[in-house]
Amino acid sequence: MVEDLAFHLADLLENALRAGAKFVEVELAREGGTLLIRVEDDGVGMDEEQLRRASDPFFTTKPGRRIGLGLAFLRQTAEELGGHFQIQSKLGRGTRVEARLPWDHPDRPPLGDLPGTLLPILVTSPVEFRLIFRDHKNTWALDTREVKKALGSVSLSDPQVLSFLEREMREALAAFGWKEEG
Amino acid sequence: MKLEELRKIRERAEAEMRLRTGQARVKIVVGMGTSGIAAGARQVLRAILDEVARRNLRDVIVTQTGEKGLAAKEPIVEVHEPGRVTIYGEVDEATARRIVAEHVVNGRVLEDHLVELREVPA
Repeated sequence: MVEDLAFHLADLLENALRAGAKFVEVELAREGGTLLIRVEDDGVGMDEEQLRRASDPFFTTKPGRRIGLGLAFLRQTAEELGGHFQIQSKLGRGTRVEARLPWDHPDRPPLGDLPGTLLPILVTSPVEFRLIFRDHKNTWALDTREVKKALGSVSLSDPQVLSFLEREMREALAAFGWKEEG
Repeated sequence: MKLEELRKIRERAEAEMRLRTGQARVKIVVGMGTSGIAAGARQVLRAILDEVARRNLRDVIVTQTGEKGLAAKEPIVEVHEPGRVTIYGEVDEATARRIVAEHVVNGRVLEDHLVELREVPA
């Protein structure tokens, strides 16, 4: 099964949550012919041994560890398409995962349903997120800290808040010309 | 992001909350640990949010939690109400929608997916 990039991103977010992150920054960008995915968290991080094996699909995923199959899939995808995959981590400081894929490669996984896949995680998790979409001209960002501040005691998972966020995100993706199947 | 619009949503929601003179009536918690996600918790969470939105249930909060030691019963969904916590196991998308429709809206516990019903101090 080919996983779309929205699922890859969701896996990386869940990794960050399991690493006990308080803040996670997620970026999806088009830089010329390159698609950039970057996820940075301030969770427990990994030591060198864990880091070395982080994208090994046979590395166990015991509760409390921050490794999932997501990293292995993303790495494999990036390498097969002639892109780049990089993971940096410091114990106690956090982890940064970055993948670069050729945007127009016929085998590049489609973006998938980004709002439908990412928003449920963003609005129900206790962690703060900054989600960034960017191309050479424009940047769109959703920062849960700003949203919560504007909302006061109203929950992020409130139906009207959720539908507002989904609408905003779909409009932003349309403005970038990024399509679910593209 | 049009933060101004969020402030309007907030004003409306807070006015409604004042009318209800209370806080959220129900909290729904979805287990999103590794085994939960492998068992389909992401789809379950999405279905619950969607059902809550479709019915415009504004006194319901939806959150997630990590591993709960009930891996064999994943995906797990807990319904927290004043006085009781209901834990459901092996929840799929259809069951998730039934939890919202039958339990949260109509107060009927779904016996077929019930793992535990716990009384708690209200």
